[in-house]
Amino acid sequence: MVTTASPVTAELTAALRDVLGDAAVLTAESDRAVYECDGFVIDKNRPDVVVFPRSSEQVAAIVRLCNEHNVVYVPRGAGTSLAGGCLPVGGGVMVVLTRMKDILEINLRDRYAVVEPGVVNVWLTKALAGSGYHYAPDPSSQGACTLGGNVATNSGGPHTLKYGVTVNHVLGVEAVMPDGSIVEFGGPSQQQFGLDLVGALVGSEGTLAIVTKAWVRLTRDPEGYRTMLGVFDSIDDTTNTISEIIAAGIIPAALEMMDQGIIGALEEAFHFGFPLDAEAVLLIEVDGLEAGLDEQRDQIVELCKKNGAREVRQAADAKERQLLWKCRKQAFGAVGRLSPSYCTQDGVVPRTKLPHMLRRIKEIGIKHDVRIVNVFHAGDGNLHPIVLFDERDAEQTKRVLLASHEILDECLACGGSVTGEHGIGVEKIDFMKKMFNEDDLAAMARLREAFNPQGLLSVGKMLPTSGACGLEQKHPGRRAAL
Amino acid sequence: MSTTSPLPGSSIDYQLLLDCVHCGLCTAACPTYVETGDENDSPRGRIYLMRGVIDGRLPLDDHVRGHLDLCLDCRACETACPSGVQYGKLIEPFRIEMEQLAGSKAKSDDWFHRYILFGMFPYPEMMRKALIPARIAQVLKLDRLVERLGLLRLLPTPLRRLVQMLPPLKAAEPPLPAVLPAKGKQRARVALFTGCVSDALFRHTNWATARVLQENGCEVVVPQSQGCCGAIHFHAGSSQPARELADANVAAFDLDECDAVIVNVAGCGAMLKDYGHHWDDADRSRRSDFAAKVRDVHEFLDELGLIPPTGRLDLTATYHDACHLAHAQQITQQPRNLLGQIPGLTLKPLPETDLCCGAAGTYNLTQPEMSERLSRRKLDNILSTGAGVVVTANAGCLLQIAQQARRGGHRLDVLHPMDLLDLSYRGLSLP
Amino acid sequence: MTTTNPLPLTETLAPGDIDALVDVVRDCCASQTPLYPIGGATALDYGRTPQQPGIGLSLSGLNRVVDYPASDMTITVEPGITMGQLRETLAGERQELPIDVPQSDAATIGGVVATALAGPRCYGLGTIRDYVIGISAVDGRGTPFKGGGRVVKNVAGYDFCKLLTGSLGSLGVIVQLTLRLRPIPEKSALVVCDVSDSEMAERILAALVNSGTTPVAIELLAGPAWQNDPVLGDLPGGAAGRIAVGVSGTATEVDWMIEQLQREWNQQHVTGVRAISDAPADELWSRIVEFPAADAPLVIQSSVRPSDVTGLVEECRGADEACSVVSHAGSGIILARFAEVPNDDVARLINNTLRPAAVTADGSLVVLSTNLGNQTHQTIWGGRTDATVVMESVRRQFDPQRLLNPGRFFRD
Ligand code: SF4
Ligand code: SF4
Repeated sequence: MVTTASPVTAELTAALRDVLGDAAVLTAESDRAVYECDGFVIDKNRPDVVVFPRSSEQVAAIVRLCNEHNVVYVPRGAGTSLAGGCLPVGGGVMVVLTRMKDILEINLRDRYAVVEPGVVNVWLTKALAGSGYHYAPDPSSQGACTLGGNVATNSGGPHTLKYGVTVNHVLGVEAVMPDGSIVEFGGPSQQQFGLDLVGALVGSEGTLAIVTKAWVRLTRDPEGYRTMLGVFDSIDDTTNTISEIIAAGIIPAALEMMDQGIIGALEEAFHFGFPLDAEAVLLIEVDGLEAGLDEQRDQIVELCKKNGAREVRQAADAKERQLLWKCRKQAFGAVGRLSPSYCTQDGVVPRTKLPHMLRRIKEIGIKHDVRIVNVFHAGDGNLHPIVLFDERDAEQTKRVLLASHEILDECLACGGSVTGEHGIGVEKIDFMKKMFNEDDLAAMARLREAFNPQGLLSVGKMLPTSGACGLEQKHPGRRAAL
Repeated sequence: MSTTSPLPGSSIDYQLLLDCVHCGLCTAACPTYVETGDENDSPRGRIYLMRGVIDGRLPLDDHVRGHLDLCLDCRACETACPSGVQYGKLIEPFRIEMEQLAGSKAKSDDWFHRYILFGMFPYPEMMRKALIPARIAQVLKLDRLVERLGLLRLLPTPLRRLVQMLPPLKAAEPPLPAVLPAKGKQRARVALFTGCVSDALFRHTNWATARVLQENGCEVVVPQSQGCCGAIHFHAGSSQPARELADANVAAFDLDECDAVIVNVAGCGAMLKDYGHHWDDADRSRRSDFAAKVRDVHEFLDELGLIPPTGRLDLTATYHDACHLAHAQQITQQPRNLLGQIPGLTLKPLPETDLCCGAAGTYNLTQPEMSERLSRRKLDNILSTGAGVVVTANAGCLLQIAQQARRGGHRLDVLHPMDLLDLSYRGLSLP
Repeated sequence: MTTTNPLPLTETLAPGDIDALVDVVRDCCASQTPLYPIGGATALDYGRTPQQPGIGLSLSGLNRVVDYPASDMTITVEPGITMGQLRETLAGERQELPIDVPQSDAATIGGVVATALAGPRCYGLGTIRDYVIGISAVDGRGTPFKGGGRVVKNVAGYDFCKLLTGSLGSLGVIVQLTLRLRPIPEKSALVVCDVSDSEMAERILAALVNSGTTPVAIELLAGPAWQNDPVLGDLPGGAAGRIAVGVSGTATEVDWMIEQLQREWNQQHVTGVRAISDAPADELWSRIVEFPAADAPLVIQSSVRPSDVTGLVEECRGADEACSVVSHAGSGIILARFAEVPNDDVARLINNTLRPAAVTADGSLVVLSTNLGNQTHQTIWGGRTDATVVMESVRRQFDPQRLLNPGRFFRD
């Protein structure tokens, strides 16, 4: 493990220009500024050089140069991480993969596609339109986030309950190892023998290697959808409905819940016509064979009513389906329009703990005097409590942080996790110690050591102890308001 | 290179900058970012740069200028942004102030050209590049207007020279009469906004629009005292002349006498709909009333319920979303709905349909490389559909795509949706 | 696979709880004694036969259900619970772990995770790697560690669930598992047809990619084992094998899919089409699942692109015409049971013929079991690649003394 990394020298910069060409190396102060943070803006740190490789070989050359010069480096895709996954801790070289953006192969017979890391998630979906197949993981940032970033963070989305997360759809990757070698793990065939290093690399937040190519599995498009929206008078009724739907053997493609706070926000911003005194709205979607859908829809409607739903709206066609989804999709935007600032967490609890958790979130909000609204993936217990505040109010900002932390602590107390989708990054690094004991963390550090003994790749991420220690931070990360 | 005080962007409401929560969800919608992969060329990056300059954290150097100059002002980012960031209200004043501060260096003409001509006129050939802006200026009656308002002083020198040099231009078709009767049972009475540029260069499309409206039971009135919508002036930072134009238009249309003010050019439509927002004075409510009546022709006909045309057009077409229709007015489905009713017409989905075609006025002069990349990308996407006809509701896009196709030696008809509908109603086929 | 224990054991210990198990590992660590974790002892001949004498570590004492919150559709169990017991427990709540393994009354969940072999339903429902959401293990130093948790969605920390799944006990002894579950489908059935040759098989398989149905399993059955089948009857003269498509869901869905598939196949002029459900379907299903466990001189498993399945099956059948095959063809997985290996030369068959064919198809091939002598590491697993070099360095971190299952997967 590295003790002290060196600063970027003119020599390194010149060598990078030699390999990549001038247009692929940014050094100007103002050119590097936008790379000082990603979707997480509390910590900022400017990289010393930003490079745009176009091939695996170029990535490998960059890594070798960083090793030669003992300089830290970090990969970046679209920079939509909400956890500071792309924060260049310690400065160094930022390897931006957005110019490696080709879909290299689409093979429908064998149901896979080969993509470069800079391909935007939705581009693959668009490329597959009309083929009868799609790429299942669809994080809500899919219009912007890259597949490389999805692989790094094991992204989920609203459909994970039925279709799983990224790791369930990655067959293989090509990665540039921290020693500068290019190694393929897995490939187009289904089963790999020996250690599942694909599984280990997916979700490793760029701390083990830089993924430069991925073989992803394609999923058959569902023949049809049934979308319903239930309006409930109590949280317990809502969560009971969820449990009963699942107990009935139905696995909805999506099960999204919005609480009173968010309903109010949506009404204020977009006027969907929801009763403002409703406690919760549940968006339920089943998909699959047309032959079975009406039966499932009727069952769900009945379960909603049985559990006291005041109203169940059903989408008759694609247009109405879009309308029902619109309120879910605009939830965050609605909040943004109501409050100068907001922050969100993505803790997970077992589904049955949802009523308890929602009660606790309410209490925590009252305790810290902050407004918290909820919109989340109820099917897999993945919460997204949104805390509203004004970033210019320093005292309130402090309370927001306290409330957020208390919510995550409660998730852990319920046997859950502090992050279901966003990742640890730098944001939740302190929670790792709460979630895992020292032995667990040591085991993780050993896995990192196996891949990344040089310790120059993605320092200061995910694990509280490794890498960053002893690093001389050339630019102190500025702390901005939330 | 850094400028001396004061900093640009001082007029920008700081709250508008704070609206951006730095989520990055807009990046992949941005044509320039999609091309360069550099976040400095993305909406989030540009907002960050502007904020950095305003905060005094970043110098306004050539790098920053370059990234801001590369922006097409296509507003695709506004469509993509879930937080409702009004990007146009940031970049436009910022660039104007950036320009004013930098003096009248050649580079500073870039944005000006672009704003004047955004969405309207790319240049078919290099030779005509220098000529066209002046021709447009003349067509726009900008020459006289400019003189009258003393705006000439504000024009960049080369353009000023050209305006004064240009020979007069003739229009090929007769102007539209003041009233055209509805066909069949009258369903509505509408006023048609004919625009200045489009009426001169695309008068056939105005005629087509009027005929289509007539076919749909609309009596069409064409107020003869209407004029330029003022968008070019407004975007060029000449707010006062724009206001005068707006007020002239508000006066020209008798709102009580019509159900809607119909516009068929994306850029003009976006401007007319914004009349109520731009100026805070005693006449604001009158302008708001006017704006409330403005309908894009596709929007209007789709709402009214199109009387399906019967003439077959056995064509395979694809529809390109013009920025000022899709992003500025959020109109994407309606034109497709209308086109879908033409018998025989097959509409192929266009990949990346809402990505700017690179026309963006004189963008291809000031940013030839990026313009060329985007326009080639657009053509490649069009060709990938196998369609022989491209339909789009903006003159600039029409010219840009046609030129790119010609250059590549591809046979491609480029038309306004109203042109196609008109052919079908009249039982004609493509010439 | 055989039931005789091929491991060089000096003794076998069966700790009753995790603490006792940790003690065993630590003792072995101190005395540098190799340790062989044993679950249901159904797959002990998978991998290279270890040579170093050591202690057998039976997980039979760790066979409890730790927690089963059925409405969360997860279960936390100890590794020694058998797949049969697990199935019964879950059936009480109309839930299941949709992983099909041979000898499920003996096979344990720990063993299934450690070996991670794909079953027929991997086409529609994935493999065991998709179901492990939390794991605890004891590494080669005797240090317990865990990864994941009890929630279905969790991206905190490295995914040890994936890392340990399929690790053949070479990184740690699994001591606890949390699994994601599914509801038991209301109805399941098989739709079967005859195929005359490889081309026809590939044509049908390729068409299934665009079928209106959503199968959970697509099986290609070939060779003598399927000639005169108690359920399917005799294979008509000239036919090379059969394709069996498994469908499940609500009764309405299954009935519709049966009809739809019959329609599609009729359009493709496929012969011998029939649907099987209830007891006959269960019977056929179980023969498919148990296929790799039967006694045979050589059983291999290969994973290739689905479109290369028929080619590789032909390759196997060309080498030994008495070779029988079950292929989870939708997923490109082939299980081949040889009756006769030419000159009993397993190494030559694998290394010169079969594996190169699999590698050409972008895949891999391993020996599941053989009774034709002790084979080299190369023959069982194939050559060292860049990826296995990384695996070795992972192994060094978790088991620096190479005491866990030495020689079985790694070249210790
Ligand atoms: S402009 Fe909108 S989408 Fe883009 S980063 Fe800012 S808030 Fe996000
Ligand atoms: S206006 Fe267009 S080019 Fe400019 S930042 Fe927005 S999307 Fe990009």
